[in-house]
Amino acid sequence: MFKRVIIGTGFLTTGLLCYQYGRTRPHSSFIPPDMFPSGSTTSLPKISPPVYANDSQFHQAINKLKDILKEDQIKDSKVEIEYHTRNEFTPHEPGANDKPRVVVYPHSTEEVSQIMKILNDYKVPVVPFSGGTSLEGHFFSTRQGVVLDTSKMNKILAVNYDDLDVVVQAGVNWVKLNESLKPDNLMIGSDCGPDGLISGMINTNASGINASKYGAMISNVINLTVVLPDGTIIKTKQRPRKTSSGYSLTHLFIGSEGTLGIVTEATLKLHPIPKFETVIVGQFPSLLDSTNTVSQIYRNGIHPNAIELLDADMMHCINYSGYFSKEWDEVPTLYFKIGGLTPTMVEEQVKVLKDISLKNNCTNFIKAKDKEEAEELFSARKNAFYAILNYGKNEINEDVRLWVTDIAVPLSKLSPVLNEINTMIRKSGLQSIILAHAGDANFHCDVFYRESEKEKCEALINEMMDLGLANEGTSSGEHGIGNGKRNFLVKELGQDTVDFMRRIKLAVDPNRIMNPDKIFKIDPEDDGPY
Amino acid sequence: MFRLVRRLGPLKPTTLLKSRFYSGAQPKPPNTDILIKSLIFTAGSIVGGYLYSSEVQQSTKSTLPIDQVTSPEYANKEQLAQAIEAVKKVFRKNTPDYDESLIINSSQEDKDSHSDTYFNSYHPEPNEEPQYVIYPRSTEEVSEVLKICNKYKVPVVPITGKSSLEGHFINTRRGVCIDISLMDEVIELNQQDLDIKVQAGLGWETLADYLSEYNLLFPIDPGPGASIGGICANNASGTNASRYGECYKNVLSLTVVLADGTIIKTKNRPRKSSAGYNLNSLFIGSEGTLGIITEATLKLYVKPKIERVAVVPFKSIQDAANSVNSYLLNGMQLNAIELLDDKMMSCINASGETSRKWTEAPTLFLKIGGSNDKVVQSTVDQVKTLSSQHNSIDFQFARNDEETEELWSARKVALWSTINQGRVTDPSIKLWTTDAAVPISKLPQFLEETKEDIANNGLENTLVAHIGDGNAHSFILYKPDQYKLAEKVVDNMVRRAIAYEGTCTGEHGVGLGKRQFLLEEVGGDAVDLMRNIKLHLDPSRILNPDKIFQIDPKESRSH
Ligand SMILES: Cc1cc2nc3c(=O)[nH]c(=O)nc-3n(C[C@H](O)[C@H](O)[C@H](O)COP(=O)(O)OP(=O)(O)OC[C@H]3O[C@@H](n4cnc5c(N)ncnc54)[C@H](O)[C@@H]3O)c2cc1C
Ligand SMILES: Cc1cc2nc3c(=O)[nH]c(=O)nc-3n(C[C@H](O)[C@H](O)[C@H](O)COP(=O)(O)OP(=O)(O)OC[C@H]3O[C@@H](n4cnc5c(N)ncnc54)[C@H](O)[C@@H]3O)c2cc1C
Repeated sequence: MFKRVIIGTGFLTTGLLCYQYGRTRPHSSFIPPDMFPSGSTTSLPKISPPVYANDSQFHQAINKLKDILKEDQIKDSKVEIEYHTRNEFTPHEPGANDKPRVVVYPHSTEEVSQIMKILNDYKVPVVPFSGGTSLEGHFFSTRQGVVLDTSKMNKILAVNYDDLDVVVQAGVNWVKLNESLKPDNLMIGSDCGPDGLISGMINTNASGINASKYGAMISNVINLTVVLPDGTIIKTKQRPRKTSSGYSLTHLFIGSEGTLGIVTEATLKLHPIPKFETVIVGQFPSLLDSTNTVSQIYRNGIHPNAIELLDADMMHCINYSGYFSKEWDEVPTLYFKIGGLTPTMVEEQVKVLKDISLKNNCTNFIKAKDKEEAEELFSARKNAFYAILNYGKNEINEDVRLWVTDIAVPLSKLSPVLNEINTMIRKSGLQSIILAHAGDANFHCDVFYRESEKEKCEALINEMMDLGLANEGTSSGEHGIGNGKRNFLVKELGQDTVDFMRRIKLAVDPNRIMNPDKIFKIDPEDDGPY
Repeated sequence: MFRLVRRLGPLKPTTLLKSRFYSGAQPKPPNTDILIKSLIFTAGSIVGGYLYSSEVQQSTKSTLPIDQVTSPEYANKEQLAQAIEAVKKVFRKNTPDYDESLIINSSQEDKDSHSDTYFNSYHPEPNEEPQYVIYPRSTEEVSEVLKICNKYKVPVVPITGKSSLEGHFINTRRGVCIDISLMDEVIELNQQDLDIKVQAGLGWETLADYLSEYNLLFPIDPGPGASIGGICANNASGTNASRYGECYKNVLSLTVVLADGTIIKTKNRPRKSSAGYNLNSLFIGSEGTLGIITEATLKLYVKPKIERVAVVPFKSIQDAANSVNSYLLNGMQLNAIELLDDKMMSCINASGETSRKWTEAPTLFLKIGGSNDKVVQSTVDQVKTLSSQHNSIDFQFARNDEETEELWSARKVALWSTINQGRVTDPSIKLWTTDAAVPISKLPQFLEETKEDIANNGLENTLVAHIGDGNAHSFILYKPDQYKLAEKVVDNMVRRAIAYEGTCTGEHGVGLGKRQFLLEEVGGDAVDLMRNIKLHLDPSRILNPDKIFQIDPKESRSH
């Protein structure tokens, strides 16, 4: 009996000790890996909070990083920290402590792999970073770890003209890439904020003006080289234009916002720059007339290279900016790019476009006379952002800020939703503009607010988001979820779908070190409202 | 040791103390020395304590090599019988009076038709067949059935059109087959948004008929009978892909039942979205190993107002490929760009299936669309000019609908005329439909070498390629006793494609037949990542076991 008690206490103590050991030990190899949580989803209350490196482990990890990196690759100056903490576009501010402690700049895939091995061993949280232009707190260092900045990996590795693809390191800027491709009459399919880099675009599934023609990033990537959280390097595919070989890992990483791995290289599809292209501007008495025009154009089998919608408020800002010699009617306005192989092909499309526009009460239909005029006309769309800021600063307040939304709905719902949004805005007393990638029914209603109006603005934005979701829409057409819209993702897709994403996350990143707290919560104690 | 720990089952402290591990090691050792006992207990408590502490994840790795998993354990006979009883109960609850054989069937005929087909390149072993075929009628029923199968660990193979080619639906674990083909309705057509929501059992041909009334099209056109579920599961495509893209680009949203019966919807209905992980693309191409697709919202396109066909024979495959390249570099958007080789053309001539006689040379079949005759003509002129710059021998162009049909008919009869030609020499002839894709610039060399290799091995073959995407199919004829030989040349072809930076499958998928090649194509680590994802989403490994990659270290097949 006595013996039994001793033995009993013995193994109880051992058990307890090991429990502690298990909690703190960075990793282990004697655990059977196929012991998986049951079911197919992971709900938040079922998991315990992540345990990250304590101070001393953090410093050990950094020391190990110093062994493999050069001095200029590992930084913690104030400027560096501040730059990697926030940007001026994000309406939700990072928390007071949400700063990285160290920024590292790897130069190669192998270096990224070595870094990740160390960080994973010590459970150091890591936030991947490239251009820093994302808009929803995507790169907030909520866990005060390391920022891994891939912007120094910015080489174009190969242009395969005959295959219409380009192999790049992930830190290449998309504008520069297009510039270097231009002499060969080629371009990539996606665009985004001018300072965005390919790795950021991949991770937000970015798109923009070109998407109605070429699709979002997801349609334009052939393969990715990714370093997984534990340092394993994978290449998702080789270089075929199409493939059905196994799970589409390429697309799993696109839009994953740095929560599953670090993208270090990519092969992108190239498109020939349209030989002949013209710009058309059509002005309409109502939003409905403009969206009906868009849908009928598609119905007639015409696929413009771009279809952008600017609302009356936006046209007002453009007039106000004085960038253009011409004074525009301040009504909903569509900007089209029409391309083709021959001038005839362009002309034929323009004819149909004109016909449809006029049937839908178009009051002002302008076709660019030549290349210069085409460029000038479209520059109104290109410079919209600056026109908005200019207007806001002068007419509202020097310190005015802009809350950028990014809703997409089915095209048939675009005009009812926009009309309702306009009513909401009038009611709120705030001012706004609407810019839409109308071909994809993805719109940005950008609201001006002063610091004192932040709460009011926030309530308005939330109401708008709900409206979009109620209309079978998405909480993000192109910017991503980041840290600022996580609750809307749940509203959009349901708890089970998000729990499913969380299961995938935990499978790939068991220590939860990769860009923690983005897209969805990973910590049951995280009580952030968004 | 791994096995021992796994048997500890659910990680509750009580189970640990009661410690069932005797059953894992040996049947009850009588009166073992107390020391050994306590050692075992200590070991148990070390592992147990550790495991309990990390409730969620045991591993710190992102990948899962096959040698780190134990074999899956599936339902035994009684458990299967219990599961089937439970499924019957569900069906009875949903439809009190029904003909059971229509929704749960274990006839040999049904088992056979759900195990293999003529076209399959990879065939089941004699006893690899489902014990039951279950035909659910709604997403909810699929969910209820999967809950039961998951509970009893019954292996499940989902099926829709049964036209896949690489042994995708072989019931390697002798479980059940869930056939979705009764779920074949159109749920909602949104003409203004150019999308349609359908059930996964709807066949693409039926869908095409339905849509043509509205002058709309869904571009994916794989094998006869293929249905939306199987199309998504394989990321299928076909002749339209160079213009409209493969399946993944044409799906807006999926409703999926997960292994444990949870129903999820991947997206709402906008044209584009950056909200969260791309679950559409995770399921598209997952071959039934991650969930059962029950509904899909698909992108639609307006049928080209006018579409014409041009047929252009060339001196060599290289010339044809160069010509295609010049179309693409010029930004031409052709609706189809297909290549048939000289042998294929002579086969079609021999078959007498078409009213014309064709030049027996590598030939491009092009579909040229536009909003009016002027636009089409202007493209045709350019195609003609570019082609002649690359040694085209001829240029046939259809001037009206009838001629268009006639010209395209040659592309349509390609497969059948190959089979028929083969049957002339040997009625028992078999056909291997291969599938690989390479970067377009490497296609000519890839094709020449492949043709040469097949011919050197004494096998007849014809070739069609979705050349705009660099995707090629050799149709290889072989007599039943030449299976090994055929297999050898196919293996060579696939390995060649991989060596040219290509893929082991452009559109048919991996199934059982190409698992080894997937490994060679993307490497062990990428496959280990896939496996890790699979085992987290389907921990009991019930969904289409053994497909795409190995999930059982003890299983051994040559592919
Ligand atoms: C003026 C302006 C206009 C804009 N217009 C558009 C537009 O039209 N369309 C559009 O889609 N977006 C637009 N954006 C948003 C932004 O440009 C995009 O989201 C862009 O894709 C972000 O790229 P980035 O390089 O700045 O990424 P970052 O902001 O650095 O990072 C974005 C996300 O990607 C992750 N990440 C970064 N690098 C890596 C890596 N190597 N591996 C893994 N994860 C990584 C980060 O952790 C983060 O979650 C605009 C922004 C601004 C400021
Ligand atoms: C003559 C012929 C020509 C062909 N031509 C082409 C072609 O041009 N292009 C092309 O891409 N393919 C082609 N194929 C191949 C085949 O048609 C495709 O692979 C097709 O996608 C299979 O669809 P299915 O409905 O027949 O699926 P099935 O054969 O029933 O199943 C295919 C796979 O999908 C899984 N699955 C089925 N239903 C579901 C579901 N509801 N949820 C989850 N998983 C599911 C199955 O488990 C299996 O792994 C051809 C085949 C033949 C016989």
